[in-house]
Amino acid sequence: METSNSSARENILARIRKANARPRSAPAPEVPLDAIFPPIPDPRRRFLDECAGNMTEIFLSVGAAGSAEALETILATVPPGEIYVQDDPELLALVAALGPWRKARLSSEGAPAESTQASLTLAHAFVAQTGSILTSSACGGRGASIVPPCHIVFGRGHQILPDISSALARVQNKITGASYAGLITGSSRTADIEKILVQGAHGPRRLAVILEG
Amino acid sequence: MKRKVALFVPCFVDQVLPQVAIDTLTVLRRVGCDVVFPEDQTCCGQPGFNTGHWEAALPCAERFVRVFSGYDCIVCPSGSCTSMVRSHYPELLASSPLRQDAIDVGQRVFEFSEFLVRVAGVSDVGASFPHSVAYHPACHATRELGIYAEPMQLLRAVRHIDLRPLPNESECCGFGGMFSAKFGMISAAMGDTKAVNLEQSGAEFVTAIDPSCLMHLSGVFGATRRKLKTIYLAGILANTAAGAAAKGASR
Amino acid sequence: MSAASQEFLRKAIIKSADLDHRALIQKGMLSYDLAVAKGKLRFADWEAARNRCSAVKAEGIANLAKYLTEFEQRVIERGGHVHWAENAGQANEYVVNLARARNVKTVVKSKSMVTEEIHLASALEKIGITVWETDLGEFIVQLRNEPPYHIVTPAMHLSRRQIADLFRDKLGEDVKDADPVRLVAAARVALRRAFFSAEMGISGANFLVADSGMVAISTNEGNGRLTTSIPRIHVVVTGIEKVIPRLSDLAALWPVLATSGTGQPITTYSTLIRGPRAAGESDGPEEFHVVLVDNGRTELLANPETEEVLQCIRCGACLNICPIFRQVGGHTYGTTYPGPIGSIYTPRTAGLSEWGHLSYACSLCTACKGVCPVKIDLPKQLLITRRDFIATGNVKPAEHAGFAGFRWASADAGRFQMLGWVGRKALAVVRALGLSGTVLDPMRVWTKYRSPIALPKQSFREWWRKNGNK
Repeated sequence: METSNSSARENILARIRKANARPRSAPAPEVPLDAIFPPIPDPRRRFLDECAGNMTEIFLSVGAAGSAEALETILATVPPGEIYVQDDPELLALVAALGPWRKARLSSEGAPAESTQASLTLAHAFVAQTGSILTSSACGGRGASIVPPCHIVFGRGHQILPDISSALARVQNKITGASYAGLITGSSRTADIEKILVQGAHGPRRLAVILEG
Repeated sequence: MKRKVALFVPCFVDQVLPQVAIDTLTVLRRVGCDVVFPEDQTCCGQPGFNTGHWEAALPCAERFVRVFSGYDCIVCPSGSCTSMVRSHYPELLASSPLRQDAIDVGQRVFEFSEFLVRVAGVSDVGASFPHSVAYHPACHATRELGIYAEPMQLLRAVRHIDLRPLPNESECCGFGGMFSAKFGMISAAMGDTKAVNLEQSGAEFVTAIDPSCLMHLSGVFGATRRKLKTIYLAGILANTAAGAAAKGASR
Repeated sequence: MSAASQEFLRKAIIKSADLDHRALIQKGMLSYDLAVAKGKLRFADWEAARNRCSAVKAEGIANLAKYLTEFEQRVIERGGHVHWAENAGQANEYVVNLARARNVKTVVKSKSMVTEEIHLASALEKIGITVWETDLGEFIVQLRNEPPYHIVTPAMHLSRRQIADLFRDKLGEDVKDADPVRLVAAARVALRRAFFSAEMGISGANFLVADSGMVAISTNEGNGRLTTSIPRIHVVVTGIEKVIPRLSDLAALWPVLATSGTGQPITTYSTLIRGPRAAGESDGPEEFHVVLVDNGRTELLANPETEEVLQCIRCGACLNICPIFRQVGGHTYGTTYPGPIGSIYTPRTAGLSEWGHLSYACSLCTACKGVCPVKIDLPKQLLITRRDFIATGNVKPAEHAGFAGFRWASADAGRFQMLGWVGRKALAVVRALGLSGTVLDPMRVWTKYRSPIALPKQSFREWWRKNGNK
């Protein structure tokens, strides 16, 4: 398969270039983002408030024991079955504290099965402005955050960034290897039926964050 | 010293709704204006411009610019016609030798309520109208000219008036000039939707600063056998005696 | 009158009289209006946001060649393929050939208006491939074999009852009480089977980011994520105008798109795809293809007057505010893109003569101008579409004669008055003879839907002559 087809490409680009060559007036000065969005003096508070609004469940913990307990609490209402875990030492330690009745499949073993009941991943950051999680395929692959009906994210308070702008800078500068990156804001939803909001369309109907520290 | 004002009477007001212009004249005189009607005027060119017939509209517009070139203050009882001159002449006459004159006349033409409040500095014209009235903010006047506060100020100063808020007030009434002819069924449905909102307001009358909207709504009310009545703003302001029958109203 | 124009009128007559349809749309639009009003409060300065987004899109269009080639290069560096398609035929040919070569039997599609525009699904179905629309609204209208009603909420014209009946007939799923939660669950089950068996996922793109070679895809349901994660081939079909200069531009564009589209702060899954799965990743497509579609966009670009139309980010705000759309709904237009943007875009790309009537299906209320998040002057575009429609000779002889007559009449005040007088007298005769509303009534276009206007005894200028100086 050719990577680019020459004649159609040249035809299209020729037309575009002709138009682009027209003289234009100088563009208006750029409107700064801080003129558009109000400042966020308390990102942590803002993150928690936004999550409450977009139906992301937050579990605050102070240490490893508390985080393990939070994980157990979340999984108590998840139907029996395999969970999919990003292959990371911290997450493996959390999962080890669970009983043997919860089988864990690691991301290093391959893609999550359709029948997976829950996934546990890290996140690159949290975004206060919109109560979002910044993930990528480096957080256990693409499917981890979208296939199971319950997605659990483990992270720390210091990972909270103020706004989308800082999250995008993180993607551009730090998450350069991953083939997928994205912001996830709350659970999957649709309003396609009579504009009534329903959770759990194709993605997870539950998004839970264990926030340690 | 009386302020000299030239009356720009929209073509359809001249031929079909003359009372609109007569009431406008009455109010302008009452606030101390010396009003003239340049008899050479015909049409501003809006019908042609809006339907894409720019070649037919251009001579109309150029003629308007010439007819009104000698007047410092031109008042028009129609938001859409005022907007045609102020907002659209620069585009229509972009290649005309009269382009600059067109831009100038746009600065000298005022919609009626805009003139009273902003130029003459008057909001109480001594009017009385003991009826319930809803104000319909006609699209061109509200969106293209930014006129909303002025008619509201004038209406609030009217004695004995019962002003009613209009649900979904900013939704178009459906006239749209030639649109009302080309897509009459949609135009009528939009008028019907406006009528339903007016009935919800409980008002007896609907008023506006665009008599074309009122002409269309009046027709819709008639066709749907509604009791609502229309009255142009100057029709309300022209009434002075409390309890006097509402002149200028149409069914 | 073109065939499309007659069809539009025919449907408009039906929909304008359909009060149930009117009530349904009004209800939907009311909830939209409330959500957007609330969403705008999150901005310190919504106008500033519009200005910024307008400038970014304008910059992208003004330097389209530069940014498109930059985007292309970065995609290729990451192992993706870029294919340029001048028209629908070339775009469909590429995807069909790829599917054939890779033995694709099933395709899952996330929302892409471009794929509607080029009719990609039917091109694939012609060679025996099953195509599943995965956006719930698109899935519903696909089952009904009808086009989307609205570019953002494709099934907003249907009640839950209708959807439940549809699912019973087509999916064999009987959902009690037409409960929306259960309906969504039924769709989820059906589409999961498709996601996990499809060999190819086709998505659109909300934005193509030049400086990082990324494709931005936003969905609330997560169908965009599954489409681009599970199948082994990912194909992006996108208009060339979707390109933006920098990743940082999304800091404003993402919230503005979501606010104008649904009133949300940001779409639930705001996704960035850089290519096929990278080395060491546990899942993801093995192949990544981007099909850049022109299909008339360079026509809009070539004309300095219409270039701004390419700034559109397909948010749907202009459709939602349009009082004509609120009466006739999305199916009446007969186009991929309805509403104000569609009424400009379609005549300009698919033919002025055939589609120019759409630019007239507008009362020039200018509400659309105030809501467009990228500040396209939609009313001006509608007016110049009309101007060009007339200039290319599409006017009916009667209308042409009418305006020539009006031009002649308005060239002289005396003439104008005389013709006005004659017109009024003629109308009075028509009415006196009881011919109002008949073929002989020159005001029939009025009296068909409205009661006749009372005719004055004299014009204003006649009155002024007699009374003006008293």
